[in-house]
Amino acid sequence: MNVPGRPSTLIRQPEAVLHLRNQRWVWTAVITAFFVVLAFLFLIPLYWMTISSLRPQAEIFSAGTKLLPSTATLDNYRRLLSDVPYPRWFMNSLLQSTGYAVVTVIICTMGGFALSKYRFRLRNPIFILILLSQMIPFHLLIVSLFLLIIELGLVESYLGAILPLAAHPIGIFFMRQYMLSLEDEMLDAARVDGANEYRMFFSVVLPNVKPALSTLFILFALEYWNNLLWPLIVFRQPQNMPLTVGIASLVNQYRVQYDLVMAGSTLATLPFIVLFFFLRRQFTEGFAAYGTGIEK
Amino acid sequence: MSQIKAFLTSRKIAPFVFLAPYLILFSVFKVWPVIQAVKISFTRFQGLQNQTWIGLQNYEALLSNPRFSMALRNTTIYTVGTLLVLIPLPLILAVLLNSGRVVKGTVFRIVLFLPALTSLVVVGSVFRLLLGRDGFLNSALGLFGVEPLRWLEVAGLTLPSLILLAVWRWTGINIMYFNAGLVNISKELYEAAAIDGANARQIFWRITLPLLKPTTLFVVIISIIGGFQVFVEPFILFVNGESPGNSALTIAVLIYRTAFLSFQFGPAAAMGVILAIIIFILSLLQFRYFGAFKKEA
Repeated sequence: MNVPGRPSTLIRQPEAVLHLRNQRWVWTAVITAFFVVLAFLFLIPLYWMTISSLRPQAEIFSAGTKLLPSTATLDNYRRLLSDVPYPRWFMNSLLQSTGYAVVTVIICTMGGFALSKYRFRLRNPIFILILLSQMIPFHLLIVSLFLLIIELGLVESYLGAILPLAAHPIGIFFMRQYMLSLEDEMLDAARVDGANEYRMFFSVVLPNVKPALSTLFILFALEYWNNLLWPLIVFRQPQNMPLTVGIASLVNQYRVQYDLVMAGSTLATLPFIVLFFFLRRQFTEGFAAYGTGIEK
Repeated sequence: MSQIKAFLTSRKIAPFVFLAPYLILFSVFKVWPVIQAVKISFTRFQGLQNQTWIGLQNYEALLSNPRFSMALRNTTIYTVGTLLVLIPLPLILAVLLNSGRVVKGTVFRIVLFLPALTSLVVVGSVFRLLLGRDGFLNSALGLFGVEPLRWLEVAGLTLPSLILLAVWRWTGINIMYFNAGLVNISKELYEAAAIDGANARQIFWRITLPLLKPTTLFVVIISIIGGFQVFVEPFILFVNGESPGNSALTIAVLIYRTAFLSFQFGPAAAMGVILAIIIFILSLLQFRYFGAFKKEA
């Protein structure tokens, strides 16, 4: 549409249009090239980790900028299995992450349902208190939590690692927001059919929030899998440690055994990279809703 | 019996039953430890059992503790440094990725996001290798004639090393936040601006940037809160967080070391209280001056 007084692309000369198109094409090429360079820079640490884990032990330090090892070897992985309890660490991470994700998803789903679909006194104060708790730095709590789990006899135990982290403010906030969109009519229909509140929760609410459940589950599992601070305080025995604490114990030495560390790091990173390619939507949705610091 | 059952399944009681597990864990592992932490910050420990009330002595000692002021300084520099890079860079990258001028944009989004999936322990270990004296970074810079730098051994380079690590780790996530903000800006605004003859630069400054303000604020807030709590990166990059001349000592590292390497619980708790107050004040200032939650609640 031609509006008087407004320059329109329609009245430009053909050569000018061609010139513009050329310019556009050049810009696309330049910007894309910039992103190619950036992507390579960003891939360096992950590439270096993986390739270092395949280098002969003596070469890891002196590799310079050599992008490929002189000979690829699995020796580092063999030593990782024989010199340190790596399989134990991996199993501990797997079980603790799963346990943490299960417990946290359950209590956040139940709590989020109460905060979104019922009216009761204290609902808003409770909700605000939970949101405010997001501001508490974990480092304020480490001393008193440490003394508390000693008193409760939970040192070196999975429960001691999981329970203190489970009252997750963002988890319950996420479920509450998600459940606000559930229709009240649907719940009332279940009530009219004679279901009590708990039956209704299991048979009507849960099936309708499945996507939120899987998003939260993946995110919490990732969060625990990558967490260092609290497991570092709970576990001192090598056989109970998760991967992060185990790898940290190998790194926190003046002469680091980079052969073991790189092999261990590669194996620890792989699972969630693979999962990410299968479940990208859950990851990005989760991160987007998640916001505040996934780890502290 | 049936009366009790009817009571427990009633619509009045059900929400409390649903909330109970969360609230119990919340009280035991959040509320109670906060109260305890404040209490511990006023006490001196001799062994785990023997505690004496010493008033404000732990706080007074902190005022004259050079390590604590060093940690405050470093943490502030680190936070400001990361903000200076991790706000403009991801914002520009997100705008470019949304401009339709990037071929295969999704691939770049994925690559830049991958660091977000890695454990900071792993990231710290890999960067310690990359930044070593004969490491990849020095070798690569050497190709351009740059003399090798002692990234992790010289006081002036330790914080830049930490910031470099942070840029690698968080750029992709921040792109995702900015992208979420960009998608919400109505296409019609851009079309109207194009009809009015606005060029790309004008559109960016007059439309994109002002409308991204809420997103930018959100990213600034979480970056500040996260920055002040930075722990794993310096803890792994330097052995047990012990950096040359304490040049990369952060508040969180100092709290951990005070509590679990020196076993001085009182001073550690006092530092925790101060850290909490700092974060609380910064959050309040932001809510107040930028009204981040005005639309909600």
